[in-house]
Amino acid sequence: MAERSAAGHPAVLLDRYRLNAGLSHGDLWLRYFELGGMDDALELEAILCGALRPSVHDREVIAHALNERFVELGGNHPVPYSESDAERRREAPER
Amino acid sequence: MFAIRGEVDRVNAPELCAILDAVIERHPSVVLDVAELGFINGWGLGVLAAQASRHRRSGGTLTIRSPSATVLRLLDITGLAEVVLLEHADPSRRHLAVGQSSEIDEASFGPEPYHVPAHAGMITAIPADTDVVDGTLRLVVTLARATVGGADGASVSLWRNGHLATVAASDKTIVDMDASQYATGEGPCVDASVKGRRFHAESLGIETRWPTFTPRAQALGINAIMSSPLLTEDRPVGALNIYSRTAMAFASKDQELASLFAAEVSHILACAGVDVTDEQLSRRRNEALAIRRLIAQAEGVIMEREGVGADDAYSLLCDYSRTSNRPFREGAEDVVASTQRFRRGAESEPRQSHHG
Repeated sequence: MAERSAAGHPAVLLDRYRLNAGLSHGDLWLRYFELGGMDDALELEAILCGALRPSVHDREVIAHALNERFVELGGNHPVPYSESDAERRREAPER
Repeated sequence: MFAIRGEVDRVNAPELCAILDAVIERHPSVVLDVAELGFINGWGLGVLAAQASRHRRSGGTLTIRSPSATVLRLLDITGLAEVVLLEHADPSRRHLAVGQSSEIDEASFGPEPYHVPAHAGMITAIPADTDVVDGTLRLVVTLARATVGGADGASVSLWRNGHLATVAASDKTIVDMDASQYATGEGPCVDASVKGRRFHAESLGIETRWPTFTPRAQALGINAIMSSPLLTEDRPVGALNIYSRTAMAFASKDQELASLFAAEVSHILACAGVDVTDEQLSRRRNEALAIRRLIAQAEGVIMEREGVGADDAYSLLCDYSRTSNRPFREGAEDVVASTQRFRRGAESEPRQSHHG
Protein backbone atom coordinates (compact mmCIF):
# COMPACT_ATOMS: atom_id res chain seq x y z
CA MET A 1 0.00 0.00 0.00
CA ALA A 2 1.24 3.42 -0.85
CA GLU A 3 2.41 5.43 2.09
CA ARG A 4 0.08 8.30 2.84
CA SER A 5 1.38 11.82 3.11
CA ALA A 6 0.48 13.72 6.27
CA ALA A 7 -2.01 15.79 4.31
CA GLY A 8 -3.78 12.67 3.07
CA HIS A 9 -3.84 10.97 6.45
CA PRO A 10 -7.40 9.95 7.34
CA ALA A 11 -7.17 11.69 10.71
CA VAL A 12 -6.10 14.91 9.04
CA LEU A 13 -9.10 14.54 6.76
CA LEU A 14 -11.21 14.43 9.90
CA ASP A 15 -9.60 17.71 10.91
CA ARG A 16 -10.59 19.22 7.59
CA TYR A 17 -14.16 18.18 8.28
CA ARG A 18 -13.82 19.87 11.68
CA LEU A 19 -12.71 23.10 10.03
CA ASN A 20 -15.53 22.89 7.50
CA ALA A 21 -17.99 22.36 10.33
CA GLY A 22 -16.72 25.54 11.97
CA LEU A 23 -15.82 23.76 15.18
CA SER A 24 -12.81 24.61 17.30
CA HIS A 25 -10.87 21.71 18.77
CA GLY A 26 -12.50 22.52 22.10
CA ASP A 27 -15.99 22.49 20.60
CA LEU A 28 -15.40 19.16 18.93
CA TRP A 29 -13.94 17.65 22.08
CA LEU A 30 -17.02 18.62 24.09
CA ARG A 31 -19.27 17.00 21.49
CA TYR A 32 -17.00 13.94 21.39
CA PHE A 33 -17.04 13.73 25.18
CA GLU A 34 -20.82 14.07 25.19
CA LEU A 35 -21.08 11.10 22.84
CA GLY A 36 -18.97 8.97 25.16
CA GLY A 37 -15.45 9.67 23.88
CA MET A 38 -12.80 8.72 26.42
CA ASP A 39 -9.78 10.70 25.23
CA ASP A 40 -8.93 14.08 26.67
CA ALA A 41 -8.85 17.22 24.56
CA LEU A 42 -5.10 17.05 23.89
CA GLU A 43 -5.32 13.44 22.76
CA LEU A 44 -8.18 14.29 20.43
CA GLU A 45 -6.15 17.12 18.93
CA ALA A 46 -3.24 14.73 18.46
CA ILE A 47 -5.55 12.31 16.67
CA LEU A 48 -6.80 15.04 14.38
CA CYS A 49 -3.25 16.04 13.56
CA GLY A 50 -2.33 12.46 12.73
CA ALA A 51 0.04 12.16 15.67
CA LEU A 52 -2.09 9.53 17.44
CA ARG A 53 -3.99 6.74 15.78
CA PRO A 54 -7.60 6.48 16.97
CA SER A 55 -9.19 3.18 17.86
CA VAL A 56 -11.99 2.04 15.58
CA HIS A 57 -14.46 3.07 18.25
CA ASP A 58 -12.89 6.50 18.75
CA ARG A 59 -12.91 7.09 15.02
CA GLU A 60 -16.61 6.31 14.99
CA VAL A 61 -17.33 8.67 17.89
CA ILE A 62 -15.35 11.51 16.29
CA ALA A 63 -17.08 10.98 12.96
CA HIS A 64 -20.46 10.98 14.60
CA ALA A 65 -19.72 14.13 16.60
CA LEU A 66 -18.81 15.84 13.32
CA ASN A 67 -21.81 14.41 11.50
CA GLU A 68 -24.21 15.68 14.16
CA ARG A 69 -22.80 19.14 13.57
CA PHE A 70 -23.21 18.77 9.80
CA VAL A 71 -26.82 17.64 10.30
CA GLU A 72 -27.39 20.80 12.35
CA LEU A 73 -26.04 22.72 9.37
CA GLY A 74 -28.32 20.91 6.95
CA GLY A 75 -25.94 18.17 5.82
CA ASN A 76 -26.46 14.42 5.85
CA HIS A 77 -23.67 12.60 7.65
CA PRO A 78 -20.87 13.41 5.19
CA VAL A 79 -18.09 12.07 7.41
CA PRO A 80 -17.29 8.38 6.89
CA TYR A 81 -17.54 6.37 10.10
CA SER A 82 -14.62 4.09 9.28
CA GLU A 83 -12.07 3.35 6.61
CA SER A 84 -14.35 0.70 5.14
CA ASP A 85 -17.25 3.16 5.17
CA ALA A 86 -15.07 5.66 3.32
CA GLU A 87 -14.15 2.97 0.79
CA ARG A 88 -17.80 2.04 0.35
CA ARG A 89 -18.77 5.66 -0.18
CA ARG A 90 -16.06 6.10 -2.81
CA GLU A 91 -17.37 3.09 -4.70
CA ALA A 92 -21.06 4.00 -4.41
CA PRO A 93 -21.42 7.69 -3.70
CA GLU A 94 -24.63 8.62 -1.89
CA ARG A 95 -27.03 10.76 -3.81
CA MET B 1 14.71 36.88 -0.38
CA PHE B 2 14.11 33.69 1.49
CA ALA B 3 11.26 31.27 1.94
CA ILE B 4 9.44 29.50 4.72
CA ARG B 5 7.85 26.14 4.10
CA GLY B 6 5.77 23.90 6.33
CA GLU B 7 4.32 25.29 9.51
CA VAL B 8 5.47 27.84 12.06
CA ASP B 9 4.38 27.25 15.61
CA ARG B 10 5.44 27.59 19.21
CA VAL B 11 8.21 25.04 18.72
CA ASN B 12 10.02 26.61 15.79
CA ALA B 13 9.02 30.27 16.10
CA PRO B 14 12.09 31.07 18.26
CA GLU B 15 14.30 29.51 15.58
CA LEU B 16 12.65 31.64 12.92
CA CYS B 17 13.04 34.70 15.13
CA ALA B 18 16.76 34.05 15.57
CA ILE B 19 17.26 33.71 11.83
CA LEU B 20 15.30 36.84 11.01
CA ASP B 21 17.24 38.69 13.69
CA ALA B 22 20.43 37.71 11.90
CA VAL B 23 18.97 38.81 8.58
CA ILE B 24 17.97 42.24 9.75
CA GLU B 25 21.49 42.94 10.98
CA ARG B 26 22.60 42.94 7.35
CA HIS B 27 19.51 43.83 5.35
CA PRO B 28 16.99 46.52 6.24
CA SER B 29 14.48 45.14 3.75
CA VAL B 30 13.49 41.53 3.32
CA VAL B 31 11.13 39.58 1.09
CA LEU B 32 9.70 36.55 2.79
CA ASP B 33 8.18 34.03 0.41
CA VAL B 34 5.45 32.14 2.24
CA ALA B 35 3.86 30.41 -0.75
CA GLU B 36 4.62 27.03 0.81
CA LEU B 37 3.83 28.02 4.36
CA GLY B 38 0.86 25.89 5.35
CA PHE B 39 0.10 27.44 8.71
CA ILE B 40 1.44 29.99 11.14
CA ASN B 41 0.07 30.39 14.64
CA GLY B 42 0.18 33.27 17.11
CA TRP B 43 3.81 32.66 18.03
CA GLY B 44 4.91 32.87 14.41
CA LEU B 45 2.75 35.88 13.72
CA GLY B 46 4.29 37.54 16.76
CA VAL B 47 7.74 36.98 15.27
CA LEU B 48 6.66 38.55 11.98
CA ALA B 49 5.09 41.51 13.78
CA ALA B 50 8.23 42.15 15.79
CA GLN B 51 10.38 41.88 12.69
CA ALA B 52 8.10 44.21 10.71
CA SER B 53 8.46 46.76 13.47
CA ARG B 54 12.25 46.42 13.53
CA HIS B 55 12.48 46.73 9.76
CA ARG B 56 10.39 49.86 9.82
CA ARG B 57 12.46 51.43 12.60
CA SER B 58 15.58 50.75 10.58
CA GLY B 59 14.04 52.39 7.51
CA GLY B 60 13.38 49.17 5.63
CA THR B 61 10.41 46.96 4.89
CA LEU B 62 9.26 43.42 5.45
CA THR B 63 7.43 42.03 2.43
CA ILE B 64 5.32 38.91 2.70
CA ARG B 65 5.08 37.28 -0.70
CA SER B 66 2.45 34.86 -2.02
CA PRO B 67 0.56 34.07 1.18
CA SER B 68 -1.98 31.26 0.93
CA ALA B 69 -5.63 32.04 1.63
CA THR B 70 -5.24 30.67 5.17
CA VAL B 71 -2.12 32.67 5.94
CA LEU B 72 -3.63 35.78 4.36
CA ARG B 73 -6.70 35.41 6.54
CA LEU B 74 -4.52 35.17 9.64
CA LEU B 75 -2.61 38.25 8.56
CA ASP B 76 -5.90 40.07 8.04
CA ILE B 77 -7.46 38.98 11.32
CA THR B 78 -4.46 40.06 13.32
CA GLY B 79 -4.02 43.35 11.48
CA LEU B 80 -0.54 42.29 10.42
CA ALA B 81 -1.53 42.75 6.78
CA GLU B 82 -1.56 46.48 7.47
CA VAL B 83 1.97 46.48 8.85
CA VAL B 84 3.85 44.48 6.24
CA LEU B 85 3.98 44.81 2.46
CA LEU B 86 2.02 42.09 0.72
CA GLU B 87 2.83 40.68 -2.70
CA HIS B 88 0.45 38.21 -4.22
CA ALA B 89 2.05 37.62 -7.61
CA ASP B 90 5.13 35.49 -7.73
CA PRO B 91 6.45 35.52 -11.28
CA SER B 92 9.96 34.93 -10.10
CA ARG B 93 11.25 33.95 -6.72
CA ARG B 94 14.18 36.29 -7.27
CA HIS B 95 12.02 39.29 -8.03
CA LEU B 96 12.59 41.90 -5.36
CA ALA B 97 9.95 43.94 -3.64
CA VAL B 98 9.43 47.53 -4.66
CA GLY B 99 11.65 49.73 -2.58
CA GLN B 100 13.91 46.95 -1.55
CA SER B 101 17.42 48.24 -1.48
CA SER B 102 19.44 45.11 -1.15
CA GLU B 103 19.29 41.48 -2.01
CA ILE B 104 19.74 38.68 0.44
CA ASP B 105 21.93 35.95 -0.86
CA GLU B 106 20.30 32.65 -0.19
CA ALA B 107 23.75 31.19 0.26
CA SER B 108 23.64 32.72 3.72
CA PHE B 109 21.19 29.96 4.58
CA GLY B 110 22.70 27.23 2.47
CA PRO B 111 21.88 26.23 -1.08
CA GLU B 112 18.17 25.82 -0.32
CA PRO B 113 15.84 28.45 1.07
CA TYR B 114 15.44 28.16 4.81
CA HIS B 115 13.01 25.38 5.56
CA VAL B 116 11.00 25.55 8.75
CA PRO B 117 10.39 21.93 9.64
CA ALA B 118 6.75 20.89 9.56
CA HIS B 119 5.36 19.69 12.86
CA ALA B 120 2.61 17.13 12.61
CA GLY B 121 1.17 18.27 15.88
CA MET B 122 0.22 21.80 14.94
CA ILE B 123 -2.68 22.52 12.68
CA THR B 124 -4.56 24.53 15.26
CA ALA B 125 -6.53 27.20 13.50
CA ILE B 126 -7.59 30.54 14.84
CA PRO B 127 -9.95 30.57 16.59
CA ALA B 128 -9.23 27.65 18.77
CA ASP B 129 -7.53 27.03 22.02
CA THR B 130 -6.40 29.31 24.77
CA ASP B 131 -2.73 28.98 23.85
CA VAL B 132 -3.38 30.13 20.31
CA VAL B 133 -5.66 32.95 21.38
CA ASP B 134 -3.11 34.12 23.94
CA GLY B 135 -0.39 33.96 21.29
CA THR B 136 -2.47 36.16 19.03
CA LEU B 137 -3.08 38.60 21.87
CA ARG B 138 0.67 38.80 22.48
CA LEU B 139 1.00 39.69 18.83
CA VAL B 140 -1.58 42.45 19.15
CA VAL B 141 0.21 43.82 22.20
CA THR B 142 3.46 43.87 20.25
CA LEU B 143 1.77 45.65 17.36
CA ALA B 144 0.00 48.15 19.59
CA ARG B 145 3.17 49.08 21.42
CA ALA B 146 5.04 49.42 18.13
CA THR B 147 2.45 51.48 16.30
CA VAL B 148 0.55 53.62 18.81
CA GLY B 149 2.41 56.89 19.21
CA GLY B 150 3.61 57.54 22.76
CA ALA B 151 3.09 53.93 23.86
CA ASP B 152 5.72 52.55 26.22
CA GLY B 153 3.86 49.38 26.98
CA ALA B 154 0.61 47.56 26.32
CA SER B 155 -1.40 44.71 27.72
CA VAL B 156 -4.61 42.77 27.30
CA SER B 157 -6.73 42.01 30.35
CA LEU B 158 -9.54 39.47 30.20
CA TRP B 159 -12.18 38.23 32.58
CA ARG B 160 -11.29 34.65 33.41
CA ASN B 161 -13.11 32.67 36.08
CA GLY B 162 -14.67 35.82 37.45
CA HIS B 163 -11.39 37.71 37.80
CA LEU B 164 -9.45 40.03 35.56
CA ALA B 165 -6.19 38.52 34.36
CA THR B 166 -3.40 39.86 32.19
CA VAL B 167 -3.07 37.43 29.28
CA ALA B 168 -0.53 39.43 27.27
CA ALA B 169 1.81 42.25 28.29
CA SER B 170 4.83 43.89 26.78
CA ASP B 171 6.97 43.82 29.92
CA LYS B 172 7.06 43.26 33.67
CA THR B 173 6.22 46.86 34.56
CA ILE B 174 3.02 46.59 32.56
CA VAL B 175 2.12 43.33 34.28
CA ASP B 176 2.63 45.11 37.62
CA MET B 177 0.50 48.02 36.43
CA ASP B 178 -2.38 45.73 35.58
CA ALA B 179 -1.99 43.76 38.80
CA SER B 180 -2.08 46.96 40.80
CA GLN B 181 -5.42 47.86 39.26
CA TYR B 182 -6.87 44.41 39.96
CA ALA B 183 -5.64 44.63 43.57
CA THR B 184 -7.10 48.08 44.20
CA GLY B 185 -10.22 47.44 42.15
CA GLU B 186 -9.75 50.75 40.39
CA GLY B 187 -8.05 52.20 37.35
CA PRO B 188 -8.86 52.64 33.67
CA CYS B 189 -8.34 48.96 32.90
CA VAL B 190 -10.81 47.85 35.56
CA ASP B 191 -13.36 50.49 34.59
CA ALA B 192 -13.11 49.73 30.86
CA SER B 193 -13.49 46.01 31.57
CA VAL B 194 -16.53 46.57 33.79
CA LYS B 195 -18.29 49.48 32.12
CA GLY B 196 -17.48 48.63 28.52
CA ARG B 197 -16.28 52.06 27.42
CA ARG B 198 -12.91 53.69 26.94
CA PHE B 199 -11.12 55.29 29.88
CA HIS B 200 -8.30 57.68 29.14
CA ALA B 201 -6.10 59.10 31.87
CA GLU B 202 -4.30 61.82 29.93
CA SER B 203 -2.10 62.86 32.80
CA LEU B 204 -1.95 60.96 36.09
CA GLY B 205 -0.58 64.13 37.73
CA ILE B 206 -4.06 65.66 37.59
CA GLU B 207 -6.06 62.45 37.75
CA THR B 208 -8.65 62.17 40.54
CA ARG B 209 -10.79 59.19 39.54
CA TRP B 210 -8.57 56.47 40.96
CA PRO B 211 -6.98 57.83 44.17
CA THR B 212 -5.52 54.53 45.39
CA PHE B 213 -4.19 53.27 42.08
CA THR B 214 -2.84 56.52 40.59
CA PRO B 215 0.08 56.99 43.04
CA ARG B 216 1.16 53.40 42.46
CA ALA B 217 1.25 53.99 38.70
CA GLN B 218 3.25 57.16 39.11
CA ALA B 219 5.67 55.34 41.37
CA LEU B 220 6.41 53.01 38.45
CA GLY B 221 6.96 55.97 36.14
CA ILE B 222 3.63 55.76 34.27
CA ASN B 223 1.96 59.08 33.48
CA ALA B 224 -0.75 58.31 30.90
CA ILE B 225 -3.02 55.32 30.37
CA MET B 226 -5.57 54.50 27.74
CA SER B 227 -7.83 51.48 28.26
CA SER B 228 -10.17 50.45 25.45
CA PRO B 229 -12.91 47.92 26.19
CA LEU B 230 -12.94 44.54 24.51
CA LEU B 231 -16.53 43.79 23.65
CA THR B 232 -18.23 40.67 22.40
CA GLU B 233 -21.92 41.06 21.64
CA ASP B 234 -21.70 44.42 23.40
CA ARG B 235 -20.63 42.78 26.63
CA PRO B 236 -17.22 43.76 28.05
CA VAL B 237 -14.84 40.82 28.32
CA GLY B 238 -11.69 42.78 29.13
CA ALA B 239 -9.59 45.72 28.01
CA LEU B 240 -6.66 46.66 25.81
CA ASN B 241 -4.41 48.86 27.92
CA ILE B 242 -1.75 51.19 26.58
CA TYR B 243 0.65 52.89 28.97
CA SER B 244 3.01 55.82 28.54
CA ARG B 245 5.69 57.38 30.69
CA THR B 246 4.80 60.73 29.13
CA ALA B 247 1.77 62.75 30.18
CA MET B 248 -0.57 63.74 27.35
CA ALA B 249 1.22 61.19 25.17
CA PHE B 250 -1.74 59.96 23.16
CA ALA B 251 -2.87 62.16 20.26
CA SER B 252 -6.30 61.67 18.75
CA LYS B 253 -4.93 59.48 15.95
CA ASP B 254 -3.30 57.26 18.59
CA GLN B 255 -6.60 56.98 20.40
CA GLU B 256 -8.25 55.94 17.14
CA LEU B 257 -5.53 53.38 16.54
CA ALA B 258 -6.02 51.95 20.01
CA SER B 259 -9.75 51.63 19.34
CA LEU B 260 -8.96 49.88 16.08
CA PHE B 261 -6.73 47.37 17.84
CA ALA B 262 -9.38 46.86 20.51
CA ALA B 263 -11.98 46.16 17.81
CA GLU B 264 -9.66 43.61 16.20
CA VAL B 265 -9.02 41.90 19.53
CA SER B 266 -12.76 41.87 20.24
CA HIS B 267 -13.32 40.15 16.91
CA ILE B 268 -10.65 37.56 17.64
CA LEU B 269 -12.12 36.91 21.09
CA ALA B 270 -15.65 36.60 19.73
CA CYS B 271 -14.46 34.08 17.13
CA ALA B 272 -12.61 32.17 19.83
CA GLY B 273 -15.71 31.93 21.97
CA VAL B 274 -14.25 33.99 24.80
CA ASP B 275 -17.66 35.63 25.11
CA VAL B 276 -18.98 32.37 26.46
CA THR B 277 -19.49 33.01 30.14
CA ASP B 278 -18.30 30.70 32.88
CA GLU B 279 -21.94 29.94 33.68
CA GLN B 280 -22.71 29.04 30.07
CA LEU B 281 -19.64 26.83 29.86
CA SER B 282 -20.49 25.14 33.12
CA ARG B 283 -24.04 24.51 31.94
CA ARG B 284 -22.77 23.12 28.63
CA ARG B 285 -20.42 20.74 30.45
CA ASN B 286 -23.21 19.57 32.73
CA GLU B 287 -25.42 18.95 29.69
CA ALA B 288 -22.63 16.95 28.07
CA LEU B 289 -22.22 14.88 31.21
CA ALA B 290 -25.96 14.19 31.40
CA ILE B 291 -26.11 13.13 27.74
CA ARG B 292 -23.03 11.00 28.16
CA ARG B 293 -24.69 9.22 31.10
CA LEU B 294 -27.87 8.73 29.05
CA ILE B 295 -25.89 7.21 26.18
CA ALA B 296 -24.10 4.87 28.57
CA GLN B 297 -27.48 3.72 29.91
CA ALA B 298 -28.77 3.16 26.38
CA GLU B 299 -25.66 1.16 25.53
CA GLY B 300 -26.27 -1.00 28.59
CA VAL B 301 -29.86 -1.66 27.54
CA ILE B 302 -28.82 -2.64 24.02
CA MET B 303 -25.98 -4.84 25.29
CA GLU B 304 -28.42 -6.71 27.49
CA ARG B 305 -31.14 -7.00 24.86
CA GLU B 306 -28.98 -7.83 21.88
CA GLY B 307 -26.25 -9.75 23.67
CA VAL B 308 -23.52 -7.56 22.12
CA GLY B 309 -20.48 -5.74 23.45
CA ALA B 310 -20.26 -2.04 24.28
CA ASP B 311 -18.71 -0.99 20.97
CA ASP B 312 -21.34 -2.89 18.97
CA ALA B 313 -24.08 -1.38 21.08
CA TYR B 314 -22.63 2.03 20.35
CA SER B 315 -22.52 1.26 16.63
CA LEU B 316 -26.18 0.23 16.70
CA LEU B 317 -27.09 3.54 18.30
CA CYS B 318 -24.93 5.29 15.71
CA ASP B 319 -26.69 3.47 12.87
CA TYR B 320 -30.06 4.42 14.29
CA SER B 321 -29.04 8.05 14.55
CA ARG B 322 -27.80 8.04 10.97
CA THR B 323 -30.69 6.22 9.36
CA SER B 324 -33.31 8.18 11.26
CA ASN B 325 -31.32 11.43 10.83
CA ARG B 326 -31.92 12.19 14.48
CA PRO B 327 -29.39 13.22 17.08
CA PHE B 328 -27.65 10.45 18.94
CA ARG B 329 -29.10 11.80 22.17
CA GLU B 330 -32.67 11.31 21.01
CA GLY B 331 -31.99 7.72 19.98
CA ALA B 332 -30.50 7.06 23.41
CA GLU B 333 -33.54 8.66 25.06
CA ASP B 334 -35.81 6.38 23.05
CA VAL B 335 -33.89 3.30 24.08
CA VAL B 336 -33.88 4.23 27.75
CA ALA B 337 -37.56 5.18 27.65
CA SER B 338 -38.32 1.87 25.96
CA THR B 339 -37.32 0.02 29.08
CA GLN B 340 -40.56 1.30 30.61
CA ARG B 341 -42.61 0.28 27.61
CA PHE B 342 -40.67 -2.97 27.37
CA ARG B 343 -41.99 -3.91 30.78
CA ARG B 344 -45.48 -3.39 29.43
CA GLY B 345 -44.70 -5.55 26.42
CA ALA B 346 -44.36 -2.71 23.94
CA GLU B 347 -41.69 -2.67 21.25
CA SER B 348 -39.30 0.28 21.12
CA GLU B 349 -38.73 2.14 17.89
CA PRO B 350 -34.91 2.01 17.95
CA ARG B 351 -34.97 -1.69 18.65
CA GLN B 352 -37.04 -2.27 15.54
CA SER B 353 -34.64 -0.31 13.41
CA HIS B 354 -31.68 -2.25 14.74
CA HIS B 355 -33.23 -5.40 13.49
CA GLY B 356 -34.35 -3.83 10.29
